[in-house]
Amino acid sequence: MEYIIADAVVEVIEKRGIKVDDVKAVIEGAGDDKITNGSRFIAKKEIGDVTVYADYTVDGDKCTINAGYCHKMKVLDIVLVGDDTEWTYVKNGAVVKAGHTNLTYLGATRSGPSLVEPTSGASWFEEYLAAGALTTAEGLFQQKRA
Amino acid sequence: MGYEEIFPQNDLKGWHANAAKRFASPFVDNYHDRIDVDPIMLSNAAVHTGFTIRDFYEKPELGIHCVGYVAELFDLLPVTHWFFSLPWVRELGVTLEYKDTLPPVSTGPILDPEADLDKIEALEPIGKEELKKGSTIPLFYGLYDYVQQNLPHTLVPISYGFDLCGAGSELIGVENFIMWTFTEPDLAHKLIDTYVETSINGADVLSDKYGMAMLIVGSILANNDIFADEQVEEFSAKKMRHYVDQCFRRGAGPQIFYHLCGNHETDYKVFKKNLVWSPFNVLHIGYKGQSEFPSELLKEEFQDVTTIMGSVDTKLMISPNPKKVYDKAKETLLAGRDAKKGYILGTSCETPPYTIPGNLLALTRAARDFGTYGTW
Repeated sequence: MEYIIADAVVEVIEKRGIKVDDVKAVIEGAGDDKITNGSRFIAKKEIGDVTVYADYTVDGDKCTINAGYCHKMKVLDIVLVGDDTEWTYVKNGAVVKAGHTNLTYLGATRSGPSLVEPTSGASWFEEYLAAGALTTAEGLFQQKRA
Repeated sequence: MGYEEIFPQNDLKGWHANAAKRFASPFVDNYHDRIDVDPIMLSNAAVHTGFTIRDFYEKPELGIHCVGYVAELFDLLPVTHWFFSLPWVRELGVTLEYKDTLPPVSTGPILDPEADLDKIEALEPIGKEELKKGSTIPLFYGLYDYVQQNLPHTLVPISYGFDLCGAGSELIGVENFIMWTFTEPDLAHKLIDTYVETSINGADVLSDKYGMAMLIVGSILANNDIFADEQVEEFSAKKMRHYVDQCFRRGAGPQIFYHLCGNHETDYKVFKKNLVWSPFNVLHIGYKGQSEFPSELLKEEFQDVTTIMGSVDTKLMISPNPKKVYDKAKETLLAGRDAKKGYILGTSCETPPYTIPGNLLALTRAARDFGTYGTW
């Protein structure tokens, strides 16, 4: 597969402390374990202590990486299931819902807004949450647990 | 002379260090000391320090210093706040008037629901650059810069959406707005949405400067004394979700304080499924009918998704009977203290400006007696 990735995307990925190769590994290992809105895919994989996400588009054998991001909080169970979203879980064809999922970090378990597929129990966090609220929350957990 | 010159510094190594550890504890499952007490102290802090309610609101830096200073007296939160219920409305054209005994209030509606229909349909939210030239952003910049300089140990930058439904209604007047929710719901939405999008832009500006911004948002006008559950959901809960979601997308959060003021007898049920629950949020509900919202119910309904804050009726806080406050606080603590994601003892809204000091002590005393971790 040929990867297409803009310099600006590479820069953001590296600023987030992950490698482009990690993001490629997420894509290559995803199989059907990913969600799609028809044009974009989001897949995730635990690499070491972080969950790495790839947001990408596929056109034939070309794969454009739109974003790569991660969070340190470990994904647990779904706690709330809301309305349908534009996303579908490729593995079972189910419509992905807006919801909330428990996350655990440094011994504390709290929930965050997520994309959920209740049948499989799978959850995903979008880029704006993982790179924004969750990253800030991880920093606060580190400070407050100190 | 700056306001900082009239206050001794907090006891940083003693009181503040312990209060900070205690404040963090319910959010990170690392319990310390006891359940925290937050009587939502605003102008009462100014009164305790010899100033007036008007001083508190007209001189925000003085007001917030009073809050930071008096917190130590009653062993309250180690962080400061200063606010009133109508941020951002001045940028939309509303004039606010300072009063001797009240927070700033609107001098009246600025749009006539009959004569100004075209203006209402054409309403647009205020953009980020315009907000910077308005009064709310400079006010909060000044406030947080003052705190950063003089009370840095208490700084939490906060962006207030506050009462999204109620603030939007100020543009045509509350009575007209309530009527419109039945007769012209699209226009009622337009008023709220204009305020909501303006507030989101405000949170965006603050998070640009401070890196994050705690969000305070509530449902005050939209409560069961005025609306049925369906209307509370449509005109308030869904707006609150949109506000928080959009603020998060722009870098604000992740801390949220949800304040459901007034009577939420049955409409509390619409909030769980609609609100955004972040890793750091507190939910506070004032009343169920005429009584404080029961901590048992608050816990049962919301403990899976948030830290909860129970209530002692604000009426008790101005009644010369500290024992009554203590007994109510005890009852509230016993009902809520083991909530899965933490519990805070509060009052059913802002503690009144003339709250009796002995009653605040009664809250803290009850938290020490019945909220000490490890004894239950």
